[in-house]
Amino acid sequence: MAQRSASKRKRHASTTRQPHTHGKSRCLRILRQLSAYIDDELSTNICHEIRRHLGACPNCETFVTSLRQTVSLCRHSPAPTLSTADRALMREKILKTKTASSR
Amino acid sequence: MIPSSTIRRSRASSSMDPQSVKNFDTLYKDHADLMYRFAHRLCGEPEAAKDLVQETFLNAYRGFDKFRGDAQISTWLYTIASRACLRMRRRRKGAPERELSLEEFIPTSDGEFRLQIPIDGLSPEAALHNKQLRAALDTAINQLPKKYKMVLVLRDMEGLSAKAVGSIMGLNERAVKSRLHRARLFVRRHLSARGLGEALIDHNHDSRGERRN
Repeated sequence: MAQRSASKRKRHASTTRQPHTHGKSRCLRILRQLSAYIDDELSTNICHEIRRHLGACPNCETFVTSLRQTVSLCRHSPAPTLSTADRALMREKILKTKTASSR
Repeated sequence: MIPSSTIRRSRASSSMDPQSVKNFDTLYKDHADLMYRFAHRLCGEPEAAKDLVQETFLNAYRGFDKFRGDAQISTWLYTIASRACLRMRRRRKGAPERELSLEEFIPTSDGEFRLQIPIDGLSPEAALHNKQLRAALDTAINQLPKKYKMVLVLRDMEGLSAKAVGSIMGLNERAVKSRLHRARLFVRRHLSARGLGEALIDHNHDSRGERRN
């Protein structure tokens, strides 16, 4: 996966400076659907249309790669952990507040 | 993602004595770590996260009788935490609430189509070993307006379904997906900003210790 993305990026590095041969409105229409596209929520027809556009628009394909990478980083971001001492301290504070408010 | 004990517990919860410290302890023991992880991701720093966890469990303790047992306990707690987070006025305020429009995320130059961070050829896990990259990601997420950040955290970091996120935030799935898309584009734009790559190297020392818990 990573290797495939890397090879794609190399391929696009030489093409990103090509001028657009289509209207930007088409890119904006694609951009609106990219999260649904990478989450595999779109119909086959729309996916096919997007793939066709990405094949013809190096900027959009680079963009979708960067969005995939962003989502992947969020999903793999390390989970913050709670220390045993803090867990116990918070429990005490909650019970103390609850007791005080019940009086 | 959600432990199976949660499901069993949700079925038994209707018989919980609302005033029982023992039952509170069971709830706290099973879910404190989960809620802290969520709170830390929402607040971006440990002290505010601890305040939010305490507020969440205190409200849960007070509201045992309102929990009908028709949802997972974790979903109920996420809902309480999300509402508490929106209410709490933090000393360190986040980005002001504003709407994000798709038009603002259209790159304006070639360099902004790709990420400007050291990720080429690396798995996300390997890339995230880089402290500066983690700090850049955290900064981007923390700059999100809260309602977008909440959706991104619940969906892409906590791993909940769009339906569950909608249930927690009182939104339909369409609204959840719309906010999620904008939130992802916001973070992507931050990570693709020109000069970020150099900044990650130049400010090597500045970002140390930013992820202390």
